Amino acid sequence: MHELSIASNLVESVLEFANSPPPKKVLKVLLQIGELTCVEPEQLQFCYSAVVQETAIEDSTLEIERVPAEVACPHCGYSGPPKYWDDALAAAPVATLQCPTCGKAAETTHGHDCTIRTIRYVEQQPE
Amino acid sequence: MIQIEASPEEIYDIELEHSLLEANAKIAQDNREKLDRHGITAIDFMGAIGSGKTTLITRLVEKLKDRTGVAVFNGDATTSSDGDPIAAMGVPIVQIATINGCHLDANVVAKACAKIDLDKISLIFIENIGNLICPAEFPLGSKARVVVVSVTEGPYMVRKHPHMFLGAQLVVINKIELAETMEVSVEKLIDDVHKLKPDLRVIPTSCKTGAGLDDVAMAILAV
Repeated sequence: MHELSIASNLVESVLEFANSPPPKKVLKVLLQIGELTCVEPEQLQFCYSAVVQETAIEDSTLEIERVPAEVACPHCGYSGPPKYWDDALAAAPVATLQCPTCGKAAETTHGHDCTIRTIRYVEQQPE
Repeated sequence: MIQIEASPEEIYDIELEHSLLEANAKIAQDNREKLDRHGITAIDFMGAIGSGKTTLITRLVEKLKDRTGVAVFNGDATTSSDGDPIAAMGVPIVQIATINGCHLDANVVAKACAKIDLDKISLIFIENIGNLICPAEFPLGSKARVVVVSVTEGPYMVRKHPHMFLGAQLVVINKIELAETMEVSVEKLIDDVHKLKPDLRVIPTSCKTGAGLDDVAMAILAV
């Protein structure tokens, strides 16, 4: 359940932003998760909603955007989407590091993200 | 539920590009630099509970302790029983009890490094928590990551846990003496690994017969 530690880290960062002057009300957090990042979006959503409770951002929503994987091959120069392993037993086809063109070992260039992309907020008026 | 009432011009978007895994990655990098300065190679062993990580590390320590200064960091959610045979060989061992349970992070490895005399060590074996998913996202500062799978985990270990293998530098397929009984094909497991990562080295081992252990030891010394 590393989603919980990632959610805690996320909430901490967003709270830090929300609490810095001027006072802000956070509406939405947009998070980018790479296809190769071993983070389950649904679990992360659940952990987020649990961690934000009774904090200044408890009414905020979390939006998760998946970033597709890309690989580059040092052997043949290919660059682009990875080769997928269709009959692996995962829920979806599995991205591999086998070069789609020459079959040798490629390297990942995109898809390891776990990044806060934007925070949407309103500035709060003093009452 | 509090409703936010704001006209569109009062809504702001701030672009951040703040990586949530960066804090750990940064400490991992610091660990790596510190170990490099002391001429130490750290090897991180990952694998499921019961895959044989502890026994494999114990055999490797037996083989290597007279050639080079070895230490072991043993990550374990609850017990400290795993480390005892290693401590009996006079090898420094640091037990790391994890609070979150599912993986080691770079910070606990930094703390473990502070507990041993780095000048007397040139090789550290880090036994990660028995888990094939979480540790993949948390580099520790090791020079190589080894995934240990055993034939007793069935024929589909590789295709069920692809992430772990993509980030590994060596795969050990353990308990091969049981392959026939388990009706698991070692060749097929190797083939699965190479479907994911064609240049990843795979060494079949048996801690019972000793098969493959010298190859693993040599591969580690060559890291």
